[in-house]
Amino acid sequence: MNQKAYYGTFGGQYVSESLMNTLEELDTAFEEAIRDEEFLKQYHYYLKQYVGRETPLYFAERLSEKYGTKIYLKREDLNHTGAHKINNVIGQILLAKRMGKKKVIAETGAGQHGVATATGAALFGMECTVYMGEEDIKRQALNVMRMEMLGAKVVSVRSGSNTLKDATNEAIRTWAKTAEDTFYIIGSAVGPYPYPKMVKEFQSCISRESKKQILEAEGRLPDVVMACVGGGSNSIGMFADFIEDKEVRLIGVEAAGKGIETGEHASAMALGAPGVLHGMRSYLLQDEDGNVQLAHSISAGLDYPGVGPEHAYLRDTGRAEYVSATDTEAMDALMELCKLEGIIPAIESAHAMAYAFKYAENLGKEIGAEAAKDKIMVICLSGRGDKDVNTIADYLSGKGYLN
Amino acid sequence: MNRIEARMQQLEQRGEKAFITYITAGLPDLEGTKALLKAKERAGCDVVELGIPFSDPVADGPVIQNASYKAICNGINLKKVFVAVEEVRKEGLELPIIFMMYYNTILHYGVEAFVKKCNEVGVDGLIIPDLPFEEQEDLKNCLKDSDTTILIQLVSPVSGDRIPRILENARGFVYCVSSMGVTGQGANFHREVVQYLKHVKEVSKIPVMMGFGIRTAEDVRPMKDIIDGAIVGSHFINLMEENGYSTAVAEEYCSTFKRELNQL
Repeated sequence: MNQKAYYGTFGGQYVSESLMNTLEELDTAFEEAIRDEEFLKQYHYYLKQYVGRETPLYFAERLSEKYGTKIYLKREDLNHTGAHKINNVIGQILLAKRMGKKKVIAETGAGQHGVATATGAALFGMECTVYMGEEDIKRQALNVMRMEMLGAKVVSVRSGSNTLKDATNEAIRTWAKTAEDTFYIIGSAVGPYPYPKMVKEFQSCISRESKKQILEAEGRLPDVVMACVGGGSNSIGMFADFIEDKEVRLIGVEAAGKGIETGEHASAMALGAPGVLHGMRSYLLQDEDGNVQLAHSISAGLDYPGVGPEHAYLRDTGRAEYVSATDTEAMDALMELCKLEGIIPAIESAHAMAYAFKYAENLGKEIGAEAAKDKIMVICLSGRGDKDVNTIADYLSGKGYLN
Repeated sequence: MNRIEARMQQLEQRGEKAFITYITAGLPDLEGTKALLKAKERAGCDVVELGIPFSDPVADGPVIQNASYKAICNGINLKKVFVAVEEVRKEGLELPIIFMMYYNTILHYGVEAFVKKCNEVGVDGLIIPDLPFEEQEDLKNCLKDSDTTILIQLVSPVSGDRIPRILENARGFVYCVSSMGVTGQGANFHREVVQYLKHVKEVSKIPVMMGFGIRTAEDVRPMKDIIDGAIVGSHFINLMEENGYSTAVAEEYCSTFKRELNQL
């Protein structure tokens, strides 16, 4: 057992023998790169000049007033390409270049990571292929168009459930065949080691900036930090620099879909048992035969049956708490953010908002309205909702929300 | 003695090469699978790999993916396959059986309980493509007192200096993957396949089998003096799909392959 590949009993490298040396090379190259001043300089240069970092930590005045506590939003939605995904892509693609790879591949669900990868590939002149489930291609036609405009080839995956999980399988298969000249850019904090570590490293700018910004604004650390969790990339980035600050509560919000009790959800940690998928051991939704169960969420980005291994570890050690928000709760929170703050968030991020509102309401009851006013909450607004407008329209017409 | 190792010993004494085929359990149904196992034994097939269907077969190409998916739709699961193996053993089948499966299926069943059950029903070996050497500790701990069931090690053309470590305590035979990637890509063997097989053969104390992309005995002519046997997977599934899982076709294919393999 390769101890460093594990977070407690989670993580590891459950891949075919063909990929073991590839992972070893990747690990060595990654560890060297993040210790190399020149590499880090380049990475930060592109984050600043191309992605547009640092992103604001915005004090949401009207929400704070309504919920009676200080609510800060980390505006990852203001990044180039509209979500946090690009942070990681810049890091991995620079690493791919450094390793002399000419091609990149990626999996995508909603298309955000695919768009970010296609963007990075265009920027650095690399050939890019994105694997996407046939079902998701239908649901996210606009992002498919974007990827193609950016010069990427989008491959429709027709196997299993035709969604993100299957696109990931296909990307892994292709990678096993072509690893000699191809770099696989994983978008979430999942996969075999060192991917979970790598994604955390390249997303940790979110918490590094947030910490600095909240100290500037409030002179102290927040009481609670929240983020939505699918595979767990924005949340691990949002938690990273706060993990050692034990006084800061860390809360991850999974998608409860139509409700955990209905079975149609994407909360790997609510009911999932430990299992092995996509090269890692972690919590996993599975049926009575140990086959992987389909996740359900209105948000394509959270529609994943597993979760990153470090989250599983943070959960089991009690350092972070994991809760969930339903489709309906998320959509209500989304509309509230639109109306009170003029921000259209991604449906993924709206899950974190939904739980934050619930949390704030309880806080007032628990410690009293006066005390609640001084509490500070930082929520990762991981992406903007433009990509979701069609889904939102369908949802609203079904529910008659706008009427 | 373990059935696989016993068979390898016999083959060595006879100076024969081994012929191994893969089938997905539960196709066309479990009775059909049992009939195929018996047909293979009659045809002189040496070992059979029995695929346990899994929802996410990441080491498999489209042919075995589809077969796996069909079997799941037929309601096939590990428990039912155990029952079928138990039955076919009682009916006198002595053909060595290897379960080819993904690790989650074992984890979900419980590693210890799984090994115990394999021993009870007569599963002779395990091939787990997503359980590389570094992750085998738990399973090996449970297998250490088991002679009935052994773990088969896989190596790939890019394993390089990992090969001696992987083979050190390996049993049965070593499964040499002939190309990068997944099963069923046709005979596009790795460009350095001969050199790689030679290297494995030098290091290995046990027989060396080659699999992935093989369709006919002719495909392995270039390496006939190196390898101790050949494994056919996807091509056999295709053949079965095209011929309605006919045991006559299976028998004909297996006996022809086995004969030609030993005449190369």
